[in-house]
Amino acid sequence: MGRVRTPDRADERATDAASPSTREQTRARYPETAGYVERDGVTVAWEAYGDRGLPIVFVPTWSIVTSRIWKLQIPYFARRHRVLTFDARGNGRSARPTSVEAYDEEEMALDLLAVMDAAAIDRAILVSLSLGAHRSLIATHRAPDRVAGLVFIGPSLPMGRPVPGRDIDFAADLGVDEGWARYNQHSWRRDYAGFLTFFFENCFTESHSTKPIEDALGWGLETDAETLILTDQARGIDHATALAITAGIDRPTLVIQGDEDAITGPSRGLALSRAIPGAELVLLAGGGHIPNARHPVRVNLLIERFARSVASATT
Amino acid sequence: MTAQRDAGPASGDLHDDGGRAVRPDRSGLAVATDGVRLGFDVYGSGEPTLVLMPSAPIIHSRQWKGQVPYLSRRYRVVTYDGRGNGRSDRPTDPAAYHDDRFLGDLVTVMDATDTERAVLVGLCVDGVWRAIRLAVEQPERVLGIVAFAVGVPRIASPQPHYVAAFQVWDEELPTTEGWAKLNRHHWERDYADYARFFFEEITSEPHSTKAIEDAVGWALDGSVPAMLAESEAEFPFDLEAIEAICRSVKCPMLLVHGSDDTCQLPARAHRLAELTGAPLVLLEGADHMIPGRHPVKANLLIRDFVESLGGQG
Repeated sequence: MGRVRTPDRADERATDAASPSTREQTRARYPETAGYVERDGVTVAWEAYGDRGLPIVFVPTWSIVTSRIWKLQIPYFARRHRVLTFDARGNGRSARPTSVEAYDEEEMALDLLAVMDAAAIDRAILVSLSLGAHRSLIATHRAPDRVAGLVFIGPSLPMGRPVPGRDIDFAADLGVDEGWARYNQHSWRRDYAGFLTFFFENCFTESHSTKPIEDALGWGLETDAETLILTDQARGIDHATALAITAGIDRPTLVIQGDEDAITGPSRGLALSRAIPGAELVLLAGGGHIPNARHPVRVNLLIERFARSVASATT
Repeated sequence: MTAQRDAGPASGDLHDDGGRAVRPDRSGLAVATDGVRLGFDVYGSGEPTLVLMPSAPIIHSRQWKGQVPYLSRRYRVVTYDGRGNGRSDRPTDPAAYHDDRFLGDLVTVMDATDTERAVLVGLCVDGVWRAIRLAVEQPERVLGIVAFAVGVPRIASPQPHYVAAFQVWDEELPTTEGWAKLNRHHWERDYADYARFFFEEITSEPHSTKAIEDAVGWALDGSVPAMLAESEAEFPFDLEAIEAICRSVKCPMLLVHGSDDTCQLPARAHRLAELTGAPLVLLEGADHMIPGRHPVKANLLIRDFVESLGGQG
């Protein structure tokens, strides 16, 4: 495990980097409890809201954003459930370890379980977005008793077909900073903000998305190219493992997938919904990669309906 | 019954702005004293009734789309398309757009919807000034007024770009850039370009693309001849008369104005507050289209105002 920054250091750095647009905005609701967990010297910051109902963990996605990607879920669900969020290592108030192993999806899943311990949540619905699907699946596989149900939004797993044009060599210096050629470590080092803009514009392909794009750009700028390069090189679930884990899942599952998802393509969500026995698929017409931020009312109602059915089935 | 028309009421072919969160309980056409037909809608059944006044003929009743679903769960809500847009007739005679006609339309719609008295909610001159007039001329029909983007003519300086544009209104200008688009000839040639420019200017907050797109769509539902006729209509009050009318308002009133209003300078809101004694909520950073751009804020202000009226309903 490489050198890690303490939470204080991470805070300081986030503040240093903060332009007015990246300083944290006011929140509709603030957490009742918050804390840090530390594993192998890596600190992870968590926040909990609400005090009733079946707990829901909003699992962090790729460290390109912070837990604020759930900002439009937290106030609604905190009125109905106990809500837990945390910043994945590599962004927000969590540490930025400097070794690639620290970003292994196994570590992310162990963070998830450790944060649930710290918040005294025994069992919860896990709601994940994109890359967060890896963490949810591993945690479910390791500790099935702690998972009451699973929601996957735009899951990014090695199942189904990737989006055409994304087969870009990440390591080679292509010398190009446009289109998916921006998904490249040299391009990130040259023009990190340019990559973020490109990426988030493709996350939010719906019209009238200027606000979520601006928000996401701010969260992306809370970390940096070197950290994000480590997260990209870290180990996740491979195709065979994904099939093996998903086939054994016996928890109620909802997959929410935008049919115009330009990041993972709708095919991955469809494949995941077929792989998990009994999973329900909701395909959002015209939806992009992050519908929880762009279509929050629709997504919140879908998740709440699911949560109610899980709660009534388990009581 | 001799109103000139360039189009009858549009039959359901208005711009699709994304569908409706709530459908009216009752819709119809009310007929004004000069024969102009006015499309109206009634939502909900609570007390009191709120009339959300049209900013016509530039846009129509969908301007309140962010208010109707919320407010109609609590109150009875009446909206209507002002003459010249929406489902209403589009007369082309400037006399049809005399201030008294717009005031008469409000009465016509209140009568047609069995609305004895109501809280009037308006935006800019079309909403605010006519609400004030009704409150003074028929005070028994007005419970209160919520005035967004206070547009009362003459009580303080207008935006300089309007003054400049109307000085050369009929002239062929060497440019069509900026406020030169506010010109008769440019309207006749490319009204859509003007509409886009205008709503971008007066909805200048970040993240306004949807509010702008909607407003442009409603503007394009309208009629250039109607807009031109309205621009030539006489305004029959001088400053002294306007101030006397404003001072005579007896009903409760709330003024809501954006600090960055590109259409009506905040000075008009401050002056109206002086004239009426009404409280003024100045929204920092907000531009003109407050109900469309800041619907939650607008809705809560309306709700709190209506609740403050207590048993008066």
